[in-house]
Amino acid sequence: MAAPDTAPPTLATEDVVLDAQGLVREYGPVVAVAGIDLTLGPGEFLTVFGPNGAGKSSLLGLLAGSMRPTLGRVSVRGQQLDFGDVSWRRRIGVLSHRGFLYHDLTVTENLRFFGRLFELTDLDRRIPERLAHVGLSDRAGFKVGQLSHGMKQRLALARALLHDPDLVLLDEPFTGLDPSAAAVLRKVLVGLKDGQRTVVMVTHNLGEGLALATRVAIQARGRFVWQGGRDEIDTDSFERFYHEAVEGRR
Amino acid sequence: MSYLRQVQAIVWKDLLLEFRTKERLVAMGAFAVLSAVLFNYAVDRTAVRPQDIAAGLIWMTIVFGGLLGVGRTFHLEAQDGAFEGILMSPAPKDAVFLGKTLANFILLYVVSLLVVAVFMLFFGLELGASPAVLALVLCLGVLGFVSLGTLFAAVSSGTRMGETLLPILVFPLLVPMVIFGTGATGRLLASRPVAEVVGDIRMLGAFAVMALAAGALLFRFVVED
Repeated sequence: MAAPDTAPPTLATEDVVLDAQGLVREYGPVVAVAGIDLTLGPGEFLTVFGPNGAGKSSLLGLLAGSMRPTLGRVSVRGQQLDFGDVSWRRRIGVLSHRGFLYHDLTVTENLRFFGRLFELTDLDRRIPERLAHVGLSDRAGFKVGQLSHGMKQRLALARALLHDPDLVLLDEPFTGLDPSAAAVLRKVLVGLKDGQRTVVMVTHNLGEGLALATRVAIQARGRFVWQGGRDEIDTDSFERFYHEAVEGRR
Repeated sequence: MSYLRQVQAIVWKDLLLEFRTKERLVAMGAFAVLSAVLFNYAVDRTAVRPQDIAAGLIWMTIVFGGLLGVGRTFHLEAQDGAFEGILMSPAPKDAVFLGKTLANFILLYVVSLLVVAVFMLFFGLELGASPAVLALVLCLGVLGFVSLGTLFAAVSSGTRMGETLLPILVFPLLVPMVIFGTGATGRLLASRPVAEVVGDIRMLGAFAVMALAAGALLFRFVVED
């Protein structure tokens, strides 16, 4: 395992998909994100591990533009997140442990609604494609409330990918899934590593996180206490390494 | 055009959800009918003519019943964090506000027509000589009401007091709508000439435009982080 390293690797400007510099987020006296720099290129899958309260979800909220940073800035494909002109939102897809879905609408109606908000014009082609991609073609006419939790998560992923975002943000996507549902979702997430998209996933689940990552970061007390390439990690000893990093012993 | 399509998407989604759940229409409709029944027994017909006070009672029923429905505008949005999904889309916040306001307007306008019909039945009122003008008065009054109601429903949905807070925030701002709406409705139900209510209609129109514009401008500050 490599020594602690908080310096992000250098990428050529044209290769940068996500660029976050000096991110700080405070909630009154509480500092949730305490100065994070992050640069990711196409095809990279960053998994962020950390204990409860480490600021992982706040970091994801800042990258998604659902909350404003107290300090710092975020750019996606060179376009800075600006709350006046929100066209950059077309470049971002978010999957949370909540699905952002309407349970009284059908699977297709949900996708059609969000597709219209994203100003997509080819929904008749896109929706069946995305449903096939997540294995829900046979549930197109079902109300979301009739789906299992695993199916809802896959539908939420289809919603997040409907507009072909450059950057996909995943917040604890495996929460509450049984092993078979998690396996199906994992298969879909592996499909995201197509060399085009950039993915940031925050999770407590070390096994799932490592299986998908090309880069790994450990967040504690609002900052990255370690980050490096997946190939720098010894899977067998990672859990001990993680605990030591979180406790500040590395 | 894309802006209008985003507004339309919100309206379509809200109306479809309401069509499926009937949560708000049933509550508002039942409230309107039951209020008219109670008012019917509460008024001493030997002391006061029902038509003299019907306009005020009609507007109070619309306001209280409407608040039942408008107050729940963001209830379904809270389910599964769906509203967060809308806010993470590129749809402008004012388009979201206009879409939700328009959906609320359609629902409450239907209810307001029901309220008038029920009061006509119980109070023995006649529609007057200008039903189209009465429909316009209701339209403008309801539009102003739902504009403020939708904005403040967003404010109150983010607080612990929730729906309790909504009337406290909205009622003081509804005074102009109640004054001009009641005045115009009373005269129209009494078959007075339309010329007598033109001033009230202008004031209701101005109120609706100002409420809609204020809501569209302020909504983003309510829903954004």
